[in-house]
Amino acid sequence: MKRYLALLILTLFAASLGMAQAPAAAPVAAPPGPAAITDADLKNVDVPKMELRVKGDPDGSLTGNASDIVVADSKKGLAISDVLNQVGQNRVAINFTWTLIAGFLVMFMQAGFAIVETGLCRAKNANHTMMMNFMVYGVGLFAYYLIGFTIQMGGVGAVANLGGTAPLNAEYTISLFGKTVGLFGQHGGFLMQGGTYDVGVMVMFLFQMVFMDTTTTIVTGSAAERWKFAAFIVSTFLLGAFIYPLFGNWAWGGGWLATLGANFGLGHGYVDFAGSGVVHSVGGITALAVSMIIGPRLGKFTRDGKPNAIVGHDIVLVLTGCFILAFGWFGFNPGSTLGSSGPGNLRFATVAVNTMLAGMAGGFGAMFYMWIRYGKPDASMSGNGFLAGLVAITAPCAFVNPVSACIIGLIAGILVCLSVEFVDKILKVDDPVGAISVHGTNGLFGVIAVGLFSDGTYGGGWGGVSGNVRGLFYGDASQLVAQLMGVATLLGFVFTLSFVFNWLVDVVIGQRVGAKAEVEGLDLPEMGALGYPEFELKARA
Amino acid sequence: MILVGLLMTLLGFVLALLSLGMTSSVGGRMVMVLAGIALSLIGILGVMNRAYLKNAIWRK
Repeated sequence: MKRYLALLILTLFAASLGMAQAPAAAPVAAPPGPAAITDADLKNVDVPKMELRVKGDPDGSLTGNASDIVVADSKKGLAISDVLNQVGQNRVAINFTWTLIAGFLVMFMQAGFAIVETGLCRAKNANHTMMMNFMVYGVGLFAYYLIGFTIQMGGVGAVANLGGTAPLNAEYTISLFGKTVGLFGQHGGFLMQGGTYDVGVMVMFLFQMVFMDTTTTIVTGSAAERWKFAAFIVSTFLLGAFIYPLFGNWAWGGGWLATLGANFGLGHGYVDFAGSGVVHSVGGITALAVSMIIGPRLGKFTRDGKPNAIVGHDIVLVLTGCFILAFGWFGFNPGSTLGSSGPGNLRFATVAVNTMLAGMAGGFGAMFYMWIRYGKPDASMSGNGFLAGLVAITAPCAFVNPVSACIIGLIAGILVCLSVEFVDKILKVDDPVGAISVHGTNGLFGVIAVGLFSDGTYGGGWGGVSGNVRGLFYGDASQLVAQLMGVATLLGFVFTLSFVFNWLVDVVIGQRVGAKAEVEGLDLPEMGALGYPEFELKARA
Repeated sequence: MILVGLLMTLLGFVLALLSLGMTSSVGGRMVMVLAGIALSLIGILGVMNRAYLKNAIWRK
């Protein structure tokens, strides 16, 4: 019996060895790959004959074919190099087109801001508020063209989606704890200096400029109804030329925050896809600094410090403006891919849906909060909740899933109500449109949300770090630290810089109009004309 | 007091920045950064704003 058992074991062992050493089955012949295409093959490509084309092409089936490819050498005819160059240029052209159209959408947000802010102010200040929102575009653009763009993007390096923006390659760096980190860019002055007279740089400039202008227009809301027009111009110039571009460089231009991951092992560095921090927090925090310096409107607080509600004059303008802003946000967030063709760029579909969902959830959050707390679904706060959801999703929009987008939006909608009450009742800072809460508070929340909700499905190689971006809830606590570092920079550095600049403006020019002008309304004293000349307006302190 | 508040605000940023060089642990850096944020918030909201409220226009 033992012999049989030993024989069986030996047989099995031999069999197993044999299986292990059995020669691999002869490989199945791989199917022949596609034959290499040669220039000669291209000569045989069928194109619609001219006789057909001259009859017209009502269904579009004849238009756009091989005959539309530009040939480098007409004697040689169509060559592979012509086709490949056309493919490459098409990719860049698609990305240029998308980024420019997105920039145009963001530019239109200025109209949304203008009517939201004007609607939330009193009719006696309509001309002044509209004029600030109108001129903030030009003043900001001028400042950014002269100085700001160079500081922010002058060292960003080549952006592959735009065919490379190689001339933007001069970042001023210092050594921080043994690591080389960027502080500000140095190429791009007048869009000429350093070889920046370049089509890719032009696309980058336009897109970044309209973002910067969004920041500057946030401040006009919080300082409305009492801001001296001359002070507004100087303050806006300083914001567009220095404050915004500096933080913009640190986050988007290759500066030290963007490289926290590669240099210090903090996730993928500070990640802010479309600017909850760069655009909205910088605007909201500067709005807080200006509001503190300028003080509240006459009649906003009683002698014992209780806030009075000073209602806006046109809720129709306010909610229409919110819709315009939401429309523009489809340029703001999905456009921040800087292209729609190329690896990862199709994520812009998710970005667009996340943006839409967060805005909806923010509107719901604020509406139900106000309904439960005060018995009515307040229209202006619902609008602010809608915007708060959009602000909060702006940084994480590319990195989170749709459920997280809804959660972020809902929290933002409630947070904006709590923040408005806090700013009004506890801080006693007068913010006529709620800009500090919508953009400042929720901008900071959006930055933190990246470090919490990023689900690891997007952002491979972001910040020079391999792998996708993950937040704390998906296993990477270090990403949250990088985001908190951004928050600390916004509160500690950006606020300080904004405060000092605006304090200087206050000392030199004076930020606030006189009491008589404020009571009368700023339209006549500051602008020389009423916003609504055919209406009889009653001055109300 | 406004200047004191402003210095506290800036110091909060410096504290967060120092976390990069003082420790390499995620937890240690998080604590320092959060402390920096708290310091900046106290500087802005607790010190500077309070100083402005002492001379607020509605008190006159």
